[in-house]
Amino acid sequence: MGKSGSRDLIQGTLDMLILRTLLRGALHGYAIAVAIEQRSGDELRVEEGALYPALHRLEVAGLLKSEWKLSETNRRARFYRLTSEGEKRLQDEASNWERLAAAVARVMEAV
Amino acid sequence: MNWFLKLRKRRMLESELDEEIAFHRNMRASDAAAGIVPPPFGNPTRIRESMREAWTFGWIETTLRDIAFALRGLRRNPGFAAATIGSLAVGIGVTIAIFTAADDLLFRPMPYKDADRLVMVWEANPRLATAAHNVISPGNFLDWKTRGRVFEDIAAFSEYKTNLSDGERSEQLRMQSVSANFFPLLGVRPWSGRIFTEAEDLASAHGDSLVLISYRLWQSWFGGEASAIGRRIMVNSLPRTVIGILPPDFYFRNREVDLWGPIGIDPAKPYRKTSGRYMMAVGRLRRGVGLAEAQVQMTGLARVLEIENPVFDKNWTVLLEPLRSSLVRDVRKSLLLLLGAVGLLLAVACANAASLLVARNSSRRAELAVRAALGAGPARLTRQLITESAILAVLAGTGGILLGWYALAGLVRMAPEEITRTAKISMDWQIVVFALILAAATGLVFGLVPALIASGGVAAEMKRGNRWGSANRGSARAGLVAGEIAVSVVLLAGASLLFRSLVKLTNADPGMNPDNVLTLRFSAPPARYKEPQRGVQLFRNAVDRIGKLPGVRSASAVSYLPFDGMAAGTGVTIGGRPPALPGEQPNANVRTVLPRYFETMGIPIRLGRDFTAGDNTRESPIRFIVSEGFVRKYLNGEDPLSKTISVEMDHPNPFGEIVGVVGDVSEGALGKAPEPTVYYVHAHLPYAGMTLLLRTRGDPLGLAAPVRQILHELDPAIPVADIRTMRNVLGETYARQRFSAILLAGFSISALFLAAIGIYGVLAYSVSERTREIGVRLAVGADAGRIVTMVLTEGARFVLAGLAVGMAGALGLSRLLSSLLFDTGARDPIAFTAAPAILLAVALLAGFIPARRASRLDPVLALRME
Repeated sequence: MGKSGSRDLIQGTLDMLILRTLLRGALHGYAIAVAIEQRSGDELRVEEGALYPALHRLEVAGLLKSEWKLSETNRRARFYRLTSEGEKRLQDEASNWERLAAAVARVMEAV
Repeated sequence: MNWFLKLRKRRMLESELDEEIAFHRNMRASDAAAGIVPPPFGNPTRIRESMREAWTFGWIETTLRDIAFALRGLRRNPGFAAATIGSLAVGIGVTIAIFTAADDLLFRPMPYKDADRLVMVWEANPRLATAAHNVISPGNFLDWKTRGRVFEDIAAFSEYKTNLSDGERSEQLRMQSVSANFFPLLGVRPWSGRIFTEAEDLASAHGDSLVLISYRLWQSWFGGEASAIGRRIMVNSLPRTVIGILPPDFYFRNREVDLWGPIGIDPAKPYRKTSGRYMMAVGRLRRGVGLAEAQVQMTGLARVLEIENPVFDKNWTVLLEPLRSSLVRDVRKSLLLLLGAVGLLLAVACANAASLLVARNSSRRAELAVRAALGAGPARLTRQLITESAILAVLAGTGGILLGWYALAGLVRMAPEEITRTAKISMDWQIVVFALILAAATGLVFGLVPALIASGGVAAEMKRGNRWGSANRGSARAGLVAGEIAVSVVLLAGASLLFRSLVKLTNADPGMNPDNVLTLRFSAPPARYKEPQRGVQLFRNAVDRIGKLPGVRSASAVSYLPFDGMAAGTGVTIGGRPPALPGEQPNANVRTVLPRYFETMGIPIRLGRDFTAGDNTRESPIRFIVSEGFVRKYLNGEDPLSKTISVEMDHPNPFGEIVGVVGDVSEGALGKAPEPTVYYVHAHLPYAGMTLLLRTRGDPLGLAAPVRQILHELDPAIPVADIRTMRNVLGETYARQRFSAILLAGFSISALFLAAIGIYGVLAYSVSERTREIGVRLAVGADAGRIVTMVLTEGARFVLAGLAVGMAGALGLSRLLSSLLFDTGARDPIAFTAAPAILLAVALLAGFIPARRASRLDPVLALRME
């Protein structure tokens, strides 16, 4: 396991971030990892040991679909895209997360 | 779903994953070249492992791989596999064999309605040693039936051997005569046909009678034909009509009974005046009436009957005994003992398996550590270890069931008749499930616990870089083996005690010479030999002709063989004395014999003479021969040959002269004081059925054919039954003791064997752990003898500790055995010296092998090992 401490992602959160990242279109695994890191302003690091199992888990759960296509560098890569079920799940998770984040924020401000 | 397809798909997925990872790395590499900091990449093997677990069908594949891997591991280490599987299989096999027997006899419900409310109702006479569970009088039975408040109902029955024939075939069968309420009382309905009514029961005393047959007889004799019901058959030369067939699993007290007829007890008859005690009764207690309460009430009724019938019932009371207890009375204790012993053996087997697994897992820590480094998660490792334990358990369970099957077959063959007669001892699926659960539990507990310790400890172990194993685990193993030794000593001591007792029993003087005596049962059916003296004549002729056969030294006959569990007993009056007070009258066993009985049986004549042919006629005056015990007990040193006695067997009972005194035969129970016995000659007390006896020069069984031939010539319609040698008859009396002794010996040898494996295992493991240390010692000049002593001393610590605990336990437990021992103290010094001596010898042998291996180590190789 990596030793990146607070920058490790808890599993459920990683699932949500993957779903969110795929909302704008199909991506391969590496692009997903890079996208998450960049959009988090390098605050979050995605470890592949977590990423690929998560992708498969989500695919098995029917939230993602994958297919092999040519990448931007003209190499074969597996692209993941969201299913309609995945979109629905993302909405649920996002609203849950917002509530949770707001609640945590309120507590922290109160102190 | 077809998992083969899944596996193919799985291979495809695997290559896709590889490609995906390769792509990822490639991208990372090109990004790095472009100066972009790439996201980290983890351990690819670890990713694959967890990916595989995410695929839904992963578990099948993982399990198959685990199984294949475990089997490979077991094959690589066959000694370990054989010892572990063998230990558990022996433990499980023996346990299920004994448990099956005990379950049948002690625990399995009997095939009757509410069987726990069924009781045997005996008469008992506290003044007679042999009358603790006495057969009963029909007179008393009728009073119990009408006046006993504790019974819902009470039925009478008796059992005897009969001859079934239809003019062409004949067969010797056992029959029970029962009262009409017998089957309803047990809650048993005929499988087909009907049972007889009260009226038919009563009528049976006169003329034509009815009979029910067993399912087995219906199949064998009647070929399972529906027309069997209504068929007329000859039972003991009397016609009977078959009216019903009983269910296949029905039996009452004896599985070998095939015929049930009416007993025909007539309440109008004065039974107390005309007959003695000869039948049995089974009662159903009223709901809510406990055994103790019922016993109190019946004792009260018996006291009333004693007052009403001051002669017949003097000193007689009633004893209630639960039906099951009455069947296993003498066997129960042996069985519980064996059950306890088998529990101990199972404990030894489990300890052995546990100790082997612990040793194996600790020596595998390096392997486990490597596998963890290669990416196997802790859950993965634990599952691998559990799979291995499960495989061991399944193999041991299967082996145990097979072993148990054979053990049970041997057990049934060896078992005394008193066990096999009352129970159908067979393995059923419950026992098989029990064995599998037992195997699984042992495998998991003793495989999983060490596995968890091992896999938990791997990380820490890796950091320490320690391959020396931890000392406390070694001492835990030594503790297990010390426990095995203790249990083995207990079993060995028990077996030695039983064997000492058996040897003494076998060598005890029975008061007769059982060698070269052939016995066979032969009956003159009363239906055709209406005049008893015709039967007497038949036997006279038979004995005369048999006595003349070449190879026969002498021939005779007796009403009931000694050591065969039956004898008539009755009151005796001694001539010239005032009538004894009621209840204080002398009592004796009574046997009817033909002349030369004592010579044939090898019973010495101490005084006077044998019966002669002249005595064996109705016209001659009645004369008696008595046993030494009779003289000792009742004649107060007076000259027996001047005395006359009267024996209450017939009506009237004239006084007759005592013409001889013969040696005591210690029948009943060998080693108990012999019962006083009075012998009649056949003509004066004619029995229809007698046992013929012949003393032969060579093998007694060789004469069976010519004897049969003679008897066939005398009366072709009479079958010959129960051809046995007197040796066998005698052997049956201590069959139970022999059975217990052999079984306990078998257990203790198994336990000893397992303990030897355990000792060897601990020492061999310790030697391999200490290779380096031993190498140093050898290098600095220790000689082989010192190393051997060192290893043996290490073993001696736990062997002696186990021995001490075991001896203490054996001394404490041996009192449980005392009632099973004959002429052997529960702390017999020989048995208690033999047990530890045998164990020490075996321990020394088991310890010597690893010790020698240690002493032969090459110091250079030993030191280079790390």
